[in-house]
Amino acid sequence: MMRRNAIVGPQVNRRDLLKSSAAVAAAGAVVPTALRWQQAQAATSSTLVIAAPATPQSLDSNFDVSLGTFEAVAALYDNLLEFNKIPDPKVPGAFREDIADHPDKPAGLAVQGKLAESFELDPNGKFIRFQLRQGVKSNWGNELTADDVKWTWDRKFGLKAIGAFYLSTLGLEHPDGVKVEGKYTVSINLDNPNPLLAKLQPNLYAPIYDSKKCTEVATDDDKWARKFIENNSAGFGPYRLEQLQRGQQAVFKARPDYYLGRPAMDTVIFREVPTSATRASLLQGGAVDIAQYLQPLEIIKLRGQPGVTVDSVAASFMIWLELNAKTPPFDNVKVRQAMNFAFPQEQVLKTVFQGLAEPLTGCMPNIYAGFTDKFWKYKYDPEMAKALLKEAGLGAGFKTSLAYNAGDPVQEPIAILYQTALRDIGVELELKKIPAATFYNAVSERKQPIIFYVDSPWCPDVGYSMTLYFNSTSFINYSNYANEAVDKLLKDTARTADQAARVEMMTKAQEIVMSEAPWVFIAFPGYHFAHRANLKGFTYYTSNNIRFQDFARST
Amino acid sequence: MRLGAATAAAAPGVTSAPADRRRRGRLRFFLAVLRARPIFALGYAIVTLVVITGALAPVMVPYGPMVADPNVYLQPPGAGHILGTDGTGMDIFSRVLSAPRIDLTIAVLGTLLSATVGTAIGALAGYYEGQRTWRTALSTFVMRAADVLQAFPVFVFAIALVAVFGQSVRSIVLAIAFVNAPIYLRLMRSQVLSIRRLRYVEAAYIAGASDLGILARHVIPNAIAPVLAQLSVNVGWSVLLTAGLSFVGAGVVAPTPEWGSMIAMGFQNVVTGQWWPSVFPGIALGLTVFGFALVGASIEVLADPARRRVLSGTLG
Repeated sequence: MMRRNAIVGPQVNRRDLLKSSAAVAAAGAVVPTALRWQQAQAATSSTLVIAAPATPQSLDSNFDVSLGTFEAVAALYDNLLEFNKIPDPKVPGAFREDIADHPDKPAGLAVQGKLAESFELDPNGKFIRFQLRQGVKSNWGNELTADDVKWTWDRKFGLKAIGAFYLSTLGLEHPDGVKVEGKYTVSINLDNPNPLLAKLQPNLYAPIYDSKKCTEVATDDDKWARKFIENNSAGFGPYRLEQLQRGQQAVFKARPDYYLGRPAMDTVIFREVPTSATRASLLQGGAVDIAQYLQPLEIIKLRGQPGVTVDSVAASFMIWLELNAKTPPFDNVKVRQAMNFAFPQEQVLKTVFQGLAEPLTGCMPNIYAGFTDKFWKYKYDPEMAKALLKEAGLGAGFKTSLAYNAGDPVQEPIAILYQTALRDIGVELELKKIPAATFYNAVSERKQPIIFYVDSPWCPDVGYSMTLYFNSTSFINYSNYANEAVDKLLKDTARTADQAARVEMMTKAQEIVMSEAPWVFIAFPGYHFAHRANLKGFTYYTSNNIRFQDFARST
Repeated sequence: MRLGAATAAAAPGVTSAPADRRRRGRLRFFLAVLRARPIFALGYAIVTLVVITGALAPVMVPYGPMVADPNVYLQPPGAGHILGTDGTGMDIFSRVLSAPRIDLTIAVLGTLLSATVGTAIGALAGYYEGQRTWRTALSTFVMRAADVLQAFPVFVFAIALVAVFGQSVRSIVLAIAFVNAPIYLRLMRSQVLSIRRLRYVEAAYIAGASDLGILARHVIPNAIAPVLAQLSVNVGWSVLLTAGLSFVGAGVVAPTPEWGSMIAMGFQNVVTGQWWPSVFPGIALGLTVFGFALVGASIEVLADPARRRVLSGTLG
């Protein structure tokens, strides 16, 4: 009677099911085995092998901010200026950008020329003039001239996107503001003074393109060589792109004709390894030189392994929860304050971050001049939280949701700890896991009541940092925070070069923001660079990525 | 007495005494089979244990399965926490015990829904096939639609459905029902195709019974045995699918105690030496699926008259 042979398609027969169940039982017990590819190369040669969570999706920093893009951009392109490097105060042998205020220097900055041999900065911040190095060649053999700088800024005007943000930040309203004054002389001229005129030049969003190559490959439909720059490079940086296989690896080759000398690492293999545990295993086994973006427990474990070093430095990274100030009940300041008093920050730092992070006690990076934590008051206090909710008319509690990124392993445990803590004050928190691929859409839509955000302002400036997150018109003010007094302070800060006055105004802005709590303040996670012990030259940049040209292998 | 399923179900008007004798005979035979094939007994024991555990979990667990205690995070198995704690301090033992409430609920509901829908449509498709009416065209359309559904990789299809319906228990149940329904549809159709030409069906037709009446009273009861055998295998497979969806983040929402979700939350810790958050739920999941597979295997034997006769001969 039975006709089992009539059953077709996706069903599973008994044998398959038995196999599957046995496999599942075994799977949990199997420790991931480190891949051994390229192990020999990684150990001794001038090949640098990096295990990264993702390969660059695009090489055009005007459009793409995905993981790996900026490592690639920093290798393929150079900027006009760079910050001076100083030894890291905590980690021997490591370096970092000198981003402190230097009142004795132009604009208070410790910057030096890179593609620019020298520069002249208007004390009022209305213009900057660059004298370019002569004889600098791109990876296509074209010499750097002022036309390249002009074309680069024209491209920002032409394509809008991220470049437009920088134009508006500088207050550069017309392409004519960038003037070619000679073959090797170019200036940027503003209608209004701007204190960021020099400070923004080292930013990875401001690389200089080889305009000759770009105009060669441009078409009528693609005037700014978008398609070319997405997949190739036309820059003056220390490396050229050898191969880009998205989802697998990117390979970079050192340029022997680089104007600052050929980098020590001749070949860089930037390999995609999505799982952090696997990246850690590969580093431990010696198959890679660098494992990026590891989890706290993995970092702790690697610290004790022979042949591996983890350099942990203070960084501009911050992690927080955006409380949507336009969505009830978070449009009420008292509720936002209560959400902060109910957050078990100390426990989160201890359990989730394993003591590797510092508490986020302010609303901008604590390594930037002008930061203050004197307005911090949100130590875990559930009774205070209850009292504030009662004052807000929500003594019986309420129900809300928290969205978190499935691709960031620290967010789920933080969310679970917060959920448990909120139960104590009568708040029922529903957790929403959002796939990594769509998470930033969810953030930028600004519709979630509460959502995680991890970020760092790449320009080490108090006004820039505060404007980014708290100006009511900023495109990454994802908490929808709006305060007229703060807006006015931000506007005034952007129009004066007097650093003392800027810091004073931004201190006032920090006081208001901390009091009104548009975020739930979590942590400064720091920057933890895990690498083979024989790799030297690590330098911390405020953009939180590495530059391949910094590294050399010790003998 | 070794009546085939069809004969037994098609014999109307039997008295209660022979029915009782038949039931007692079946029970004795069932127990004899379990003695002769202890692996089947193991399957029933596992499934029974999992069901009882799920039912009694609220009174059995020492800690709340969704309560994080950061003071005891990542504790190894020991006195305070038998199976240890996870990265947020939730008790693994309590969560492993509570998980069947979600996993089995989803799997059983999804499987029953797919069996109900698939069986009904399959019966109609089989009954009307080849009659040169519009119903035949509909039957053909249904079968081709099932072909299309089955052409998709099951797991990817389930992820897509959860993505469309949203991440919830209801969505997972619907996804499981969707991917399983074609199995029951084809199974029932093939059974009905062979049964519909039997004499008792023709007799019912001549007696003036309606099509639906014939299907409900004479055809489906005689075609249902293989569907029942498939149910157990499918429940186990659905538990696996539920866990798989949760593992990739498309299943239940955290921190709901669910084996796949627990494995996903803990697997990154294995490489740093904290194996217990993922290994124990993995073992529980594996055993449960294994148990349902064994039960399915036993039903397959018991429901097949030919194999039952062979087994009966072996038992003497």
